[in-house]
Amino acid sequence: MGTLNRCLRSGRVMVGLGMILIVLVCALFAPFLAPSDPNEQDLLSILLPPAWMAGGDSAFPLGTDSLGRDELSRLIYGARTAMTVAVVASLGAMAIGSILAHLAGYFGGVVDWIIGRVVDVWMSFPPVILSLILMVGLGTGLDKVILAIILVDWTRFCRVLRSEVLVVRQRDYVAAARLIGFSHWRTITREVFPATLPLLITLVSLEMGIAVVVEAILSFVGLGVGANQPAWGQMIADARQHIYDSAGGLFFPILAIFLAVTGFNLLGDGLRRTLDVRLINAREQ
Amino acid sequence: MTDILSVRDLGVSAMIGGTPVPVIRGLSFDLPVGKILGLVGESGAGKSMVGRAIAQLLPPGFAISSGACLFEGADLVRMAAEARRALLGREIAFIPQSPQTALNPLLTVGQQFDEQLRHAGAASRRERRERALAMLAAVHLSDPEQLLRKYPHQLSGGMCQRVLIAMAFSSNPRLVVADEPTTALDVTIQVRILHLIAEMQQRFQTALIFITHDLRLASRICDEIMVMYAGSPVEIGPGRDVFSAPAHPYTRCLELADPATAHGQRALFLLPEQMPGLLALARMSGCHFAPRCPNVADACRNTRPVLTSVREGHSAACLRLSATSDITTAEVRAGSAVVSSEKPLLRVEGLSKRYAAMGGMFLGRSEVTAVRNVDFSIAENEFVALVGESGSGKSTIAKLLVGLEQPSSGRIVIDGRDAAGPSRQAHALRIATMQMIFQDPQSALNPRRRIASIVTQAMEAGSRHVSAEDRVQRTRELLVEVGMSPELATRYPPQLSGGQRQRVNIARALGARARLLIADEIVSGLDVSVQAQLLNLLFRLRAELGFAMLFISHDLSVVRYLCGRVLTMYRGEIVEQGKTVEVFANPQHPYTRTLLAAVPPADAAVAWTALDAAP
Amino acid sequence: MVATLLQLLARRLVVSIPILLLVCALLFAILRVLPVDIAAMSMPPTATIAEIEAKRREMGLDQPLPQQFLIWLEDAAHGRFGRSIQLRRDAGSLVADTLPATIELAVAAMVIATVLGLGGGLLLFHVRGTKLEIVGEVASTVLLSIPEFLWALFLLFIFGVALHLLPFTGRLPPEFVRPNVTGFLLLDTFLVWRPDMFWAAVKHMILPACALGLAFSPAIMRVLRSSLLDVYQEDFIAQLRLRGLSEGRILIGHALKNAILPTLTLMGVQFGFLFSGTLLVEVIYSYPGMGNLMVDAVRNADLPIIQAVGLTYCIVVLLITIVVDCLYLVLNPKLRAR
Repeated sequence: MGTLNRCLRSGRVMVGLGMILIVLVCALFAPFLAPSDPNEQDLLSILLPPAWMAGGDSAFPLGTDSLGRDELSRLIYGARTAMTVAVVASLGAMAIGSILAHLAGYFGGVVDWIIGRVVDVWMSFPPVILSLILMVGLGTGLDKVILAIILVDWTRFCRVLRSEVLVVRQRDYVAAARLIGFSHWRTITREVFPATLPLLITLVSLEMGIAVVVEAILSFVGLGVGANQPAWGQMIADARQHIYDSAGGLFFPILAIFLAVTGFNLLGDGLRRTLDVRLINAREQ
Repeated sequence: MTDILSVRDLGVSAMIGGTPVPVIRGLSFDLPVGKILGLVGESGAGKSMVGRAIAQLLPPGFAISSGACLFEGADLVRMAAEARRALLGREIAFIPQSPQTALNPLLTVGQQFDEQLRHAGAASRRERRERALAMLAAVHLSDPEQLLRKYPHQLSGGMCQRVLIAMAFSSNPRLVVADEPTTALDVTIQVRILHLIAEMQQRFQTALIFITHDLRLASRICDEIMVMYAGSPVEIGPGRDVFSAPAHPYTRCLELADPATAHGQRALFLLPEQMPGLLALARMSGCHFAPRCPNVADACRNTRPVLTSVREGHSAACLRLSATSDITTAEVRAGSAVVSSEKPLLRVEGLSKRYAAMGGMFLGRSEVTAVRNVDFSIAENEFVALVGESGSGKSTIAKLLVGLEQPSSGRIVIDGRDAAGPSRQAHALRIATMQMIFQDPQSALNPRRRIASIVTQAMEAGSRHVSAEDRVQRTRELLVEVGMSPELATRYPPQLSGGQRQRVNIARALGARARLLIADEIVSGLDVSVQAQLLNLLFRLRAELGFAMLFISHDLSVVRYLCGRVLTMYRGEIVEQGKTVEVFANPQHPYTRTLLAAVPPADAAVAWTALDAAP
Repeated sequence: MVATLLQLLARRLVVSIPILLLVCALLFAILRVLPVDIAAMSMPPTATIAEIEAKRREMGLDQPLPQQFLIWLEDAAHGRFGRSIQLRRDAGSLVADTLPATIELAVAAMVIATVLGLGGGLLLFHVRGTKLEIVGEVASTVLLSIPEFLWALFLLFIFGVALHLLPFTGRLPPEFVRPNVTGFLLLDTFLVWRPDMFWAAVKHMILPACALGLAFSPAIMRVLRSSLLDVYQEDFIAQLRLRGLSEGRILIGHALKNAILPTLTLMGVQFGFLFSGTLLVEVIYSYPGMGNLMVDAVRNADLPIIQAVGLTYCIVVLLITIVVDCLYLVLNPKLRAR
């Protein structure tokens, strides 16, 4: 397929995919990659620096946190948390947001007005505040974090996709499909949706990056996935408490978040460039 | 008499795939003071490129490859960029094609005019303001003071063009280049703008280059016409003569393909295929027109003809000049003798459509009536034209008929059954009978579907399962029917030309077995030769398959050629209707008369009164 | 024109009221879902069940939900959110104390973001067509990926801990006593004429403001660049060249004017996000603003503060949106009255 080739030739897509692949591999193969149990505490070896620095221990390659847990293992298992949240939350937000966006954009009128007002109200809440408040209401835990992100971010999908659906809706070929005898359902799935799909894919990729950040923020504040699951945000919070002793503890989770988010952003950006504009023009002489 | 502009063997090339490909070659002409030169050609001929070459503002990748362009003796090509820029807007001015996008929407007319005058050298602010007001009055705009404070979106297309003409002539330029200045305007406005341009040209004694695709139009105001084909001049001579007695076969074919010159039942000349693309041209030796020329001989394919004198001041680039006048068309066009039945297929009674207007900040409820109390009927196999300018409501009628909009009041009756309203039966009845051929083929064809999938789209709609072989078979049938090669079935719409896309559009409508086609401006914007092919196609299809058509257009010549009956619309109402021949010979309503007068007469000998009339 | 502006302002404010009501309802609903016993939490641990019940009746918690909502609304309108369980002060006054600090930080950050964003955007536009363009595009994508939370940590780590250049805790060094005139520290130090305190305050604000500014400037850079690119595709720019105007004149007199409109709209939206972004930055830098207040309250399920601060954030962002809409109307002649 021509599109696939083009995507693979895009520098951004390849670099982005590469970065995400690293994180994904860590997430999928965590039990095989991590040297120790991430929750195992060794209170005799707290706040150790990375193994190559003075005072480090080779059993803990990147050092330990304030409870003596191995930083590297927590980093790798943290990838699992981050990726799980990223994938599930963005797909969930995408599902809700895109369905409502297509309904609103295609049918217009009352449907559009209602959905538009709901989105307006929802978006009046700053996302960070809303997710914090939701976590207070829902309690901590991986599933609650995913639910909170879906509940906050579906509106962004909805708003952006709705604009695109409106543009496609104006095209004569959509009207022509109705005149040929297509039902509304068929028109949306065969004519409108293939046109909005490129934007959808881009948004999902970007959303995954955002989900990683939100999860980190919630874990940082202490309202994340809970104490039993390793999370990068929690690692940062812990390191910040002991900032002069644990420079490594701060550095590596920051790097991990940066890697994941930049990877998703580059991928999303690259996909946007290859899928959207070129699709129409590339096939012209 | 000195020449303002002397172009000598100008060549422009474009970088395609790393190699320079010629776009314009061998362009030479002289333009004396105060004369009008017309550059006529179809799209792709290179005529717009000439204007940009003069300004030295070619698009990226394009460059002047040879020749000289002498403006009052100084070579524009070899001039320093600063010196050249100093000429633009002062000695050399341009009148653009689409007036409303040619002005910055965020600045007032006054601010932009002031800036232009400042560039042109007018000293004090008061002087500039007075000059602006004087020029706006000179182009017959009322209340110039108010106008200076307005924004471009508050003006109509015609008014914007007048402002731009005022700006162009305000610096008293020696040369003005008008690139299709009337194409984007309504027909009745066109003739007034043309008159204005001619008036200003006379008054300031400016040399003018008038670029257009309309040979008939050019012959009316240009002193000299140069016809371009595939980047080279093929004929150059006095305006009237080039039109009434063309020397080059291409010009003659172009004239014969123009519906306005087809008197009575005369067929249009069909030029096969289309103008070759740049790469194909580069590979060609010999005459560029040879593949399509009806008079082609072996020598034409090998030797490239040069401009040879036919008469005093009139030359053409052809090896067989004497054979040109032999080109002719059939006396009676095929398929035109179809008799439409008496029974009406579609009847419209009292149709009206009102929209609630967007009343600015206030919650005021004002209404706009797009269509008011319209009555007409269309019989089986009848081609009926709906004529009007922008804002007349003709597109709204199309939408009302197919159900894209619901009428505010009135009836639509098909075969005696009610077809108006949002109910499922009405919708089913409408789409079983009528199909719409949309105006913009770019927007009308889903760029993600292959042609095969588009022409047989109707087969996807039903719940009956259709086998793949049936679909392939039908695709082939339909494509052949509309005169396209079945190999094109696997392509995508962006890979086709404008004319081909319209054929696909028509094929799709036929694929749905429509009995009434609603064609909304389907040939406007197409080259004359492509237009002729499509018109011919419509006749042939009607003879073979049988269908009626509501043909919406603003082009009266096409309407006269194609349609047996005509309806004139003005501001939402039908002001006149009847047999085309009768209405055009003896128009009753003043608006119809204005419309007809706005079209340049086909016969060169007949005076074009609307052009000479007062503004 | 002033009349239409006031009319629009009035209209937007009126329209905002139902939105605000719905926001309140949402806030109310979420917090009522809590498995927390509000009455019990506001009593000392030694309270008996009967006392808790009495407190519950006093707080109106035994009434039907819609009733409770109306009571809550009335209290909120008067700024009565209850006493913070933890800090033992009225929640409303706590918010009033910390709001100026947050506003000050947000404004400083916005100034930095604007300067960087517009400058960067022009620079990116200037290098279009050259080899630097790709570098610029990739750099801006990468920078865009870094949220304010990471920037705050980066800067703290490098300039605060590693290089020891700038302070990273609080608004002032501990030895100073904060003058309390308006609540805006930079202004207050000016008003009481303490230049030493002024500079100390500035130094303390640099890292948090830069963190926020750096995080939000890439979006501004991008939108300015793409707006300029879009404008240059327009027909009238080509016409201006044909009329002989210089490239410089075209850029300054025309293109920038047209490109600034979508840029300003985005900047307005960004300011909304930036304002809520202060929350995390305050936590990381122990900056005594609303964000810090909120995070502590959230950790302790301190409802009165959560409600008060949550509502304040929403109101501020809503006001920003209204101002942006009005600004857009003022600048875009197409939307003004005929």
